[in-house]
Amino acid sequence: MAAAWAERVSTFKSKPSRFLSATTAETFLAELLRELRDDRASYNVKVLLLSPICEHPALLCPSDCVGEETALELMSVFAQCPPKYAHFRCHLLVALTSVLICTSCMSSLSRASQDFLDLLLQLSQDISDLHSDGILHSVRVTACECLQELEACFPGLLTQHVELFSGLRQQDTFRFHQAYAGLHSLVLRNAVYQLTQETGAGAEQLKAVLGGNTSVAWEADQDSGLMNIKDSSILSSVILGSMSTVPTLHTGPDCKELRSVLSSLLEESYILTPLSQAALLYRLTEVVAMVPGVAPAIFRAQLLRLLGTSKVCLLHTTLLLKCAFTDSLFSAEDEAFILKRLVVLSQHPLLTTPTKLFYMDCILHFPENRPINCGGSEESLPVLLTPQLASTLVPTVFNDSATMLARLNLLCLVYLEEGEEEGRGLDYLYEHIISLLHTVENGGGREIVVTFFRAVFLFLSYFYHMECFSNGLIEKLCKLYRHHTRLAPQLINLADQTQDRLAESNWAVDLLKELQRVITNVPLAQLTLKNLPWHLKMLARVAEEGKAPQHSTLSFLYSVITPVSSSLCVSGDWPLGNCVLRVCRRLLVHPSLDSLVIPLADILQHLACHYSDTDIQDHARLYYTLLTTLSQEKLAGLLAQGATEGGRWVKKRSLSCLMGDSEGLTSLLTIHQTEKAIFSLVEVDSDPQQETQEYRESLLNQNETNICTDEVNTTLEAYRCQLSSPDVPSEITLNYQLVHTETYDSCFDQLFSIRLHFTLTDEHYEELRDISVPCLFRERPSPVVKLRLKPRQPFPTTLHASAIFTNQDGLSWHTILPDIHVAFQQAFTPLPAPLAWRQECKLNLFERLWDEFSSESQDCATTLFCCKLKESDLISLVEKHFLPFLISDWSHKEEFKVIFFLPPQSHVLLKIRPEVDAVHFDIATDNWQLLPYLSSYLQTLISSKEDAHSCHNNCEAY
Amino acid sequence: MSFRALWIISHDKGEHASIRFSRRFSTVEHRAKRLAGSSYVAVPEEGTVLQLLLTELGLSDSDKSYVAQRDDCLRCHRSPALELQVDGPGKGALWPVLTISQGPLILACLCLVDAPPEPRPPLANLLSISQGITFLEGLQTFLLGSGSKPDNEGLVSRLAMLPSVILQVCPLGTPLDVPALGAPITPTVPTPAGNQKQPAWKTGVHRGRAVVNVALIETVRSMQYGNQSRQDLWDVYGTVTCKCEVEGVLPNVTVTLTLPPNGSPLQDILVHPCVTSLDSSILTASSIDNCDGSAFSGPYKFPFSPPLEPFRLCSYTSQVPVPPILGSYHLTEEDNQLRVSLTLKLHETVKNSFEYCEAHLPYFNRDQMGIVDVKVSSGQMDVSKEKNLLVWTLGQKFPKSREVTMEGRITFCGPSPGPSDPLCTDLTAYIKLYFKVPDMTLSGCCVDQHSVQVYSSTKPRIVTSRELHSEEYFIWNSTGKAPVSSGQMML
Repeated sequence: MAAAWAERVSTFKSKPSRFLSATTAETFLAELLRELRDDRASYNVKVLLLSPICEHPALLCPSDCVGEETALELMSVFAQCPPKYAHFRCHLLVALTSVLICTSCMSSLSRASQDFLDLLLQLSQDISDLHSDGILHSVRVTACECLQELEACFPGLLTQHVELFSGLRQQDTFRFHQAYAGLHSLVLRNAVYQLTQETGAGAEQLKAVLGGNTSVAWEADQDSGLMNIKDSSILSSVILGSMSTVPTLHTGPDCKELRSVLSSLLEESYILTPLSQAALLYRLTEVVAMVPGVAPAIFRAQLLRLLGTSKVCLLHTTLLLKCAFTDSLFSAEDEAFILKRLVVLSQHPLLTTPTKLFYMDCILHFPENRPINCGGSEESLPVLLTPQLASTLVPTVFNDSATMLARLNLLCLVYLEEGEEEGRGLDYLYEHIISLLHTVENGGGREIVVTFFRAVFLFLSYFYHMECFSNGLIEKLCKLYRHHTRLAPQLINLADQTQDRLAESNWAVDLLKELQRVITNVPLAQLTLKNLPWHLKMLARVAEEGKAPQHSTLSFLYSVITPVSSSLCVSGDWPLGNCVLRVCRRLLVHPSLDSLVIPLADILQHLACHYSDTDIQDHARLYYTLLTTLSQEKLAGLLAQGATEGGRWVKKRSLSCLMGDSEGLTSLLTIHQTEKAIFSLVEVDSDPQQETQEYRESLLNQNETNICTDEVNTTLEAYRCQLSSPDVPSEITLNYQLVHTETYDSCFDQLFSIRLHFTLTDEHYEELRDISVPCLFRERPSPVVKLRLKPRQPFPTTLHASAIFTNQDGLSWHTILPDIHVAFQQAFTPLPAPLAWRQECKLNLFERLWDEFSSESQDCATTLFCCKLKESDLISLVEKHFLPFLISDWSHKEEFKVIFFLPPQSHVLLKIRPEVDAVHFDIATDNWQLLPYLSSYLQTLISSKEDAHSCHNNCEAY
Repeated sequence: MSFRALWIISHDKGEHASIRFSRRFSTVEHRAKRLAGSSYVAVPEEGTVLQLLLTELGLSDSDKSYVAQRDDCLRCHRSPALELQVDGPGKGALWPVLTISQGPLILACLCLVDAPPEPRPPLANLLSISQGITFLEGLQTFLLGSGSKPDNEGLVSRLAMLPSVILQVCPLGTPLDVPALGAPITPTVPTPAGNQKQPAWKTGVHRGRAVVNVALIETVRSMQYGNQSRQDLWDVYGTVTCKCEVEGVLPNVTVTLTLPPNGSPLQDILVHPCVTSLDSSILTASSIDNCDGSAFSGPYKFPFSPPLEPFRLCSYTSQVPVPPILGSYHLTEEDNQLRVSLTLKLHETVKNSFEYCEAHLPYFNRDQMGIVDVKVSSGQMDVSKEKNLLVWTLGQKFPKSREVTMEGRITFCGPSPGPSDPLCTDLTAYIKLYFKVPDMTLSGCCVDQHSVQVYSSTKPRIVTSRELHSEEYFIWNSTGKAPVSSGQMML
């Protein structure tokens, strides 16, 4: 049992959405709560059961009332749980807090949340456990933590209890003072923040809050007022750097009470754990920042202890203190000392890498007493950080990659500021990059390669303008490429990124031109099937550059594919052929194509005739034809996919591009699943007025010339004969429109090649064929989809529908459409009598069939459906719904005779007569199974007439 | 100051990665949603987080040499906080995710940003970052122990304890403490302690004989090039570890470090949070200042109230004038042969009494060793099993001359290639020294048994010890091109 629950809970936690698709949140929650109430379940299992509620309360309690009920349930479990299961009780408190906060029960102060709050306050003051087993104390600590979280989420909730927490903290000599101190400082901070927002609040109000007398502080009703805080700024820190303004509470210099509370908290901060101490100090920093009446010097006694600490979170609080109070707490010497300390810590042998990286980040966002620039999120160097000081942080090859890059970045900033005249440091950085390059050359692993290219990019982004370095790098990178062609993707990435990010620099184009030179000068003997694809990939990238001349590329290609000695054409496979074609394709749209036509045509022609792969031959022929017959503009228009950006073609995914890059191709060849339905099939309201009008006219026309001469007996036989003919419809055709659903996602605005697939939910219909729709654009009229259903039994049904389509980005998608419901009346078809038949013949047939259905026993049935209906309503009902199926004369209002034919072979005959008390629908059918559907159909028709009442429904079957 | 979620992942060089533990803090998530407003990005499901983290750490698709999402040169990892790009509905950047990796474990947490989301605040403004680092480091020590190799069984049992540990130290996403080492926390019964408050970092009170153990360990690192153009480097750092079994709720202990008369001052001193007060003169000396003779040079007093478990009272660095062992290493290549010549000199101030002393001579990017014909003036030479490493065991003592030499030739003709290292090719080679000298420090720093003061009713037993050991002690071949290990020697 326990193992099964462990399995289920872990499945839920790893993928809640999939877990809940197999069941519902409601069911799962109910199961959890039932098991929690079960006395037989062990408390270890119960602890486990609480974890889904703790971690996903909003998922399991989708509405407030479910949240409220769950909370009440959990409270009753808590009440019944013996105190010795303290561990479980703690988990319960955490679960309750999660549920009440994450549904909006707490914000609306529902009954459960008020009860819970009372419970927590009571537990937090309960010192009866003092002499019991140690484990029991944990409930008190957890209750305090829950209160603190409630106050954190709903600032001001506990303001009235400030004094209570202060008292509890001071009385406690055991380890609970930490929980009380945390709670006390947070409540205090939030109370002061709220006072800063009150107009006219001052020393008196502050004193009242500290004394627990909140009615003086706030005139408005506390509970309702505070719950409505929509503004999230109270949740946000008030210390945000030099440019932000701190909300202040003007109290004048007399803040004795606050000062004594703060000193007492600070005095005891030493006995808190470093993590809690840091939080406490931070809250108090916020309080002092908001109350100018208290001098920041109150923190001075703590500073030395904090500056000497080995704990990163404690040293960080001093930086935050400095950020908040600058020179009112820290002298210029202090500032120099702290900065030196940060530099030392950034490379201290006993600290971990994340800590050192954090300290380096702190140097770049150093809270200076007198900042020159406006601060913010930009990295900038503190004025005091001299190159001499920073020199201890120069990167070396022994650093791990993150440290190395962080140091490189910092030193780049230092030397950028220093200027070019003192170039030694910069020389060192360059040499460092080169020694990294040597490591890569000597076969460094993937991580070293990636780090090297990142370092190059970082260096260039600061010093691309210094030609001695940027040109040197081009030379070295080309040399590297010559020996390690597998680095082509990294080099292309570097070129792409420098081009994008350093728009004013020409470095990327220079690099590419030089690489082109290197590749095209490679002796043919050194080309192998291994390095050639990389060369071609690189040349294809070079061919994207409008500014790079392409003649050498062409002669290289030519020399590679043409000579007899070259085995490329003979043994080259499809991928390699594609690599060649990719270069050609880019050249086809190159701005200097005019001068390239002849050599390019030669290459394409040669490929078309001699390449060993037929597909490549075909494509080469296509390109050749395009090149030789189209003008340059047309060619560019045809082949260009998307706009050019910075002189380079932007890649666009498309299968017609053929030479997809391996990564792009995967996403192109995968079918993606949409999250929601993108479009749906909506039934078309084929205008019934129009149809009936036409039908009525045709009837009238018939009436004029209607003379029936057929023998009575032959009518039925002739009809039977007609029924077996293939002209009789075996299908019903339903018209739908394909329309976008409400959910708006611009990437589904233009859809192509939509293939709709339908799945039956029962056996009553034949399988449907897939339907193709060429395209669906949001701004164009919706396409009409005709659904042809072939019934085995003409019963109502539901169809599942799905679709595969392509969107404008060229990706393939699979989506589920909302289900399609086929109603009973949608299967109705007019009587399939021979076209030549007049109305009297049909009437004759009606009577014959009626007699037959009334007498024969097999599957036939007659029945009577009665209802109250005004005569005018009846006429409009018949006109609206039955006219296409009417057999009797329209002018003959005393009795309407109607035949519904339902493919493949069923009939329903109606005689509708208004009688004195009700309208009678006499029904005869050769398929009694249709009667329940017919009955409900008629009822919906009648109930749509407001004053109609179905009064009697008498059904008899033979 | 809180975390939105916490994950513990195990993997084997990027393969077989799985989430071993995860905890989402739903109430913090509730706050995150309100704080971030429209730029809120929800925490995705576990599988997605795992994939994104591995990609961001460069551990995914280890069989592919280049993957754009993973290897783009624009994604420059130089911050302790990662950014995970979440795709699909609710896409956006999940930031800041802190990670700590050691061996097969990755610990990660997503911090709450309690500041306006735009523009993105610097990490230095978010207390949750330093708290997160502290918390994850504590969690890592809890799971893997400090330093030593992780053992799998221990890890599994520690992971199983996590739900109850997290309930104690971070029940609702706001960290209160780091997990305590050793046995699961079972708070002892409180004792009437007068008006002294028991520190929150102390789980109980010691009873019984008072014992104070102070161990001073110095570590020396060195890079010696034996080359005029490159200055040799060495540095020393020390740590003082204490274990104090002293009665009382908040007992006072003072440990004093002293230096010999002309010893160079201790620098970059970092102290444990249990140190109650510090003199400003202790903190002034810094390794990045030019040290002047007038600087404060002790005695260094550290008054503190000890926690129950062993802890690192303080650490320092020191600039000593000479390295303990000076080496010179010469390699010359002849045909397929290496001529090796190595001299090691022990400095006269260093006690000639080692617990162990070994020199390792690795040869990278070569075949296995064939014939090894070397003579040593002292100690014993061994060839490793893999035949790519010479181990020279010097034993407990250098000879009276305090100098040892090694001469010889090595041929490489083994059937299979030895280990490779991109840094050390051809004549770029080094030897690495491993040694430990008990009862001495290079800086001369010591803790006198009599200087340890304990304010307690019973007289405590006081044990002090000190030792020196090496770490990253390299001697590079002077005929090859050695990599630069510090910028200071160039600038």
